[in-house]
Amino acid sequence: MVRQGKAAWLAHDLTHRGVTAWLLTGLLVAFYLLLYSTEVFARAARAIGLDSRWTLYGILYSLAILAGGVYVLRKYRHNRYQVVRTAVVMFVQVVFAFLVPEILKFFHQPEYYFSYFWPLKLDDFVPGTIFRLPLAYVLYSFIGSLLLVPLLGTLVGKRWYCSWVCGCGGLANTAGDPLRHLTSKSSAAWKFEKVSIHVVLAICLLLTALLFLAWGWGARAPELARFTHAFETAYAFLVVAMLSGVVGAGLYPVGGTRIWCRNFCPMAALLGLVQKAGRFRIAVKRNMCISCGLCSKYCEMGIDVRAYAQANSSFTRAACVGCGLCAEVCPRGVLRLENARSRPAPEPALVRISTV
Amino acid sequence: MRYLILGNGVAGTTAALTLRAADLEAEITMVSAESDYFFSRTALMYAFMDRMSLRDLEPYERRVFAKQKIRLVRDTVVDLDATRRALSLASGQTLAYDRLLLAVGSLGARPDWPGLESVREGVSHFVTLADLDRCEHLARATREAVVVGGGLIGVELVECLVFHRKKVTFLVRSPWYWPGALAREESEIVSSHIRRHGVDLHGSEEVAGVQSDPGGRIRVVRTKSGAEFPCQMLGIAIGVVPAVAWLQQVKTPPRMGRGILVSPAFETSLENVWAAGDCAEFQHDGRPTVEQLWYSAKRQGELAARAMLGNPIHYAPPIFFNSAKFFEIEYTSAGAVGEPPAGARTFFFPFPGREASARIVEQAGAVVGLNMLGSRWDHALFERWIAERRGLSYVVEHLAEAQFDVEFGRVDLAPLRSYYREWSGRG
Ligand SMILES: Cc1cc2nc3c(=O)[nH]c(=O)nc-3n(C[C@H](O)[C@H](O)[C@H](O)COP(=O)(O)OP(=O)(O)OC[C@H]3O[C@@H](n4cnc5c(N)ncnc54)[C@H](O)[C@@H]3O)c2cc1C
Ligand code: SF4
Ligand code: SF4
Repeated sequence: MVRQGKAAWLAHDLTHRGVTAWLLTGLLVAFYLLLYSTEVFARAARAIGLDSRWTLYGILYSLAILAGGVYVLRKYRHNRYQVVRTAVVMFVQVVFAFLVPEILKFFHQPEYYFSYFWPLKLDDFVPGTIFRLPLAYVLYSFIGSLLLVPLLGTLVGKRWYCSWVCGCGGLANTAGDPLRHLTSKSSAAWKFEKVSIHVVLAICLLLTALLFLAWGWGARAPELARFTHAFETAYAFLVVAMLSGVVGAGLYPVGGTRIWCRNFCPMAALLGLVQKAGRFRIAVKRNMCISCGLCSKYCEMGIDVRAYAQANSSFTRAACVGCGLCAEVCPRGVLRLENARSRPAPEPALVRISTV
Repeated sequence: MRYLILGNGVAGTTAALTLRAADLEAEITMVSAESDYFFSRTALMYAFMDRMSLRDLEPYERRVFAKQKIRLVRDTVVDLDATRRALSLASGQTLAYDRLLLAVGSLGARPDWPGLESVREGVSHFVTLADLDRCEHLARATREAVVVGGGLIGVELVECLVFHRKKVTFLVRSPWYWPGALAREESEIVSSHIRRHGVDLHGSEEVAGVQSDPGGRIRVVRTKSGAEFPCQMLGIAIGVVPAVAWLQQVKTPPRMGRGILVSPAFETSLENVWAAGDCAEFQHDGRPTVEQLWYSAKRQGELAARAMLGNPIHYAPPIFFNSAKFFEIEYTSAGAVGEPPAGARTFFFPFPGREASARIVEQAGAVVGLNMLGSRWDHALFERWIAERRGLSYVVEHLAEAQFDVEFGRVDLAPLRSYYREWSGRG
């Protein structure tokens, strides 16, 4: 039952696919379309003395994460995991995804985003751009993308990148928190996700390979160079602008906060594979689940956590970002994020069945 | 083989799925009056508090039942004829069976307070979907509500009404809240937490009568101490009783006590009829026992199905465990709780600076029960220690292994351990 009063009605309507939610979606989609395909924001940025639309966007994005972060810190203040994680998300966004690149630009250094890695961000990995940067950046990008991220994924366990560092996840876990429950939990949505995310990953890997080939042999094979360029442009439009921007963030109020992360992000696909092979799991306390469904409802990745919990099975799902919200909302303390083998699994005799 | 299951709660549904897993050919039918699909009764409060839609309360996707070929019938059963092996429905239909499971659950207990019979509006339990509907309807025209009953359902209803910004009076008959599970110290922590949410909680208050206004809506609740509490809504949460009253009027009633009497294999007194869940009464340690918990209904549903399939089942309830949440305070317990057994010694430690405490009860050198408030614990490990008859020192020493809190959020056990050394040194 919705709380009585106009403010409560609005809060409910905005977070439950009501009229206002659809209106907000329209605004957000329009915002992203204008941002990517017109000069409106470029002009607006210049008018207020900023060098580009992306600086303006960076400011807005950081503000959204800061404001949302304060809201989330208050909401989950009793949960140390959420407090630490949210503080890190806010810090990484403001420092590494905004201030540092701006400062670098100010000192006429290459504008570099230390919190983004391949395959999420292609630019700073592919030879055409990265080899124009000083060696230190090249090493950071390659070691970071190929070694650090997967290695830390294995060591730390959960998809720490997606829930502690990445800006896409950062927005979802701060300003997007009131919308996290909208992600579909149906098995059909899960089937779609498994196909779509690996398709995008495959396309991304192919494009990366082509970019390296074109860099090496482009001069001798102009056809390849041209095709690669067209491919790259299409990818930037379809995957980056449309899927991560317009669909991924624009549809928040009706589709939930992790549409991009769950269905399309190539980084997520890779980390998901690392996770499946790793030690991370969500442990389920035996027989304590009351099937209330709060965990499933508030899982932003659309995982039907209850299905595992009520069957007493601890689980590892590729899509789980380790946000810890399922454990937070569970009223019976059934769930815990952990790295397997870190503690003995108790095997109590729960049901005594004699076979006499 | 035709299996018929009366009741689509957790006992009935678990039984249906267990039957299907073992028998791919059988005809399986589930009848219920309350809802088309199995839903989680334990989550009623989250629907009332707008955290879940009714659909979200369904633990299984609807397609599961079609896929498992479990036929669902929405109707009220009005008669049982075990000699003809048939159930009669309110719609006039009959359903024949070869094996029948009664999993009819429970209903809110109704008190006989003077004046209650003439109240036509404003009173509700909080057990069924109809209760939820009624409570939501009533809450819209309520400023002040009274909730009576010092158990878990009571505090859940109170929390819902507080969420809806009602002024709530919570009346508990015992001197402190939930003596069945909490000792006075824990209850004080919980009570002050409940009060901090603006609830007017009174212990030792027993209802003497109620009054309604000329329109028949509840107006005031009077207690034996002479206090009067004006209200537009009265929530009754004084316990639940097996939903078996209707079975007394059927052609072939099963033998009943408080619930339907069953053997350790869940057989009722009627041929080819079993019973499980909240409605089943069995003998445990020589005492008539009704388990009215989600976990036990689920376990009983599974075992009753195995019995119906012809497996030898001898049910004895395992070591008791439970968990709950009082507003924000979580609670886990295992073993003998509430009244400590005679000759027991109790170690109790309230964690400083946190609404949290630990209680460990030892009897004859073995830990028999733990009651933990305000942090998360793995009850399965507690049960193991109880089953292995571990001593108090062992349990205190190994307590950290059972911690289940979120990362960075564990309670610090060092003060507990040092207090334990001091306490045990005292003898
Ligand atoms: C608000 C609330 C909170 C709770 N919280 C907890 C908790 O936190 N932990 C815990 O362990 N337990 C909790 N419980 C108890 C738990 O919900 C029950 O033990 C459990 O649901 C019992 O399941 P069951 O399958 O035996 O019966 P039920 O779920 O009651 O199902 C019985 C079904 O049979 C139907 N039925 C009965 N008679 C007929 C008839 N003649 N014709 C047609 N249909 C009929 C009923 O309509 C009902 O749908 C809570 C209960 C309530 C009400
Ligand atoms: S399963 Fe839990 S930790 Fe993983 S993404 Fe979902 S809510 Fe977050
Ligand atoms: S939130 Fe907890 S109790 Fe509820 S369904 Fe999930 S695991 Fe079970």
